[in-house]
Amino acid sequence: MTVTFEGLSAGDSIEGPSFAVSRESIRLFCDASLDYNPLHLDDDYMKGSFGKTQFGGVIMHGMNNFGLISRMITDWAYPAGAIHRRLETRWVKPVRPGDTIQPSGIIKSKQVTAKARWVVIDVIVRNQNEERVATGEAMVEFPA
Amino acid sequence: MAEAQAFETDFWKDAQSRKGWDDIVPGEPRKTIPYTLTSEAIALYCKSVGETHPLYFDEAYARATRYGGLIAPPSIHIMLMFACTPADDWMRSPGTVNAGQSWSYNVPARPGDVIRLEARALDKFIKRERLFVVHDNVFFNQAGEVICSGRGWTIRPV
Repeated sequence: MTVTFEGLSAGDSIEGPSFAVSRESIRLFCDASLDYNPLHLDDDYMKGSFGKTQFGGVIMHGMNNFGLISRMITDWAYPAGAIHRRLETRWVKPVRPGDTIQPSGIIKSKQVTAKARWVVIDVIVRNQNEERVATGEAMVEFPA
Repeated sequence: MAEAQAFETDFWKDAQSRKGWDDIVPGEPRKTIPYTLTSEAIALYCKSVGETHPLYFDEAYARATRYGGLIAPPSIHIMLMFACTPADDWMRSPGTVNAGQSWSYNVPARPGDVIRLEARALDKFIKRERLFVVHDNVFFNQAGEVICSGRGWTIRPV
């Protein structure tokens, strides 16, 4: 069913794609994003200490979460003729090879401005243990 | 793409020439490089996050939509950040930890666009003994239109 601005209510949910994280998926994201930070490649390096943070092994790019959330929002918005206008994210917990993550969204509010109609969406990415690994907020513009 | 072929994937190689937290001056522009976005780069990015929407792949489909042709996913700025900056940019310092980002989208990037980045450190601070830098970025297409603008919070290596 195609989403419409009128038909949306606060609390409505959006389900995003499940994503299996592996060394291969992380390496592919290195090649695709051009981000070859050793955080994502080098186990020996990741055994070390990063100031106040220890990871213990390679981690997925935080922006891989961002890309998955963005995919969820656009796939939801395009059929409605709506446009993904904003995404703000914070990384809460590292994601590691072997994890399976999934973004989801909950409609937070709707607002009509002088020239457009907006939907604000709370977004979250959870791992296979239902732990939050990323949170954020998105804005989608619906045609007036 | 000459830029893509020349991309240095060993982020240790230029580590000594990059600015550390102490050297980063909020407000000072970062050096950037114009980059021509290719269909291949878009396809590779799409593959990495499982994007399959025909707007990114099917020219005939895309032409019939409001976009009038193929576009890249909004989050393509993830790769543009590295494509549009030189090897000594401090965003590549090994150990740079991304804490979060926020982005606003205007017009879509398209294959063939010559994309320009204006970027700078906006702020730096210390919180819970971690060294943070906020970076501020705007991507433009060859027509001078804003593609997207965004901020990121990174924890700098010590």
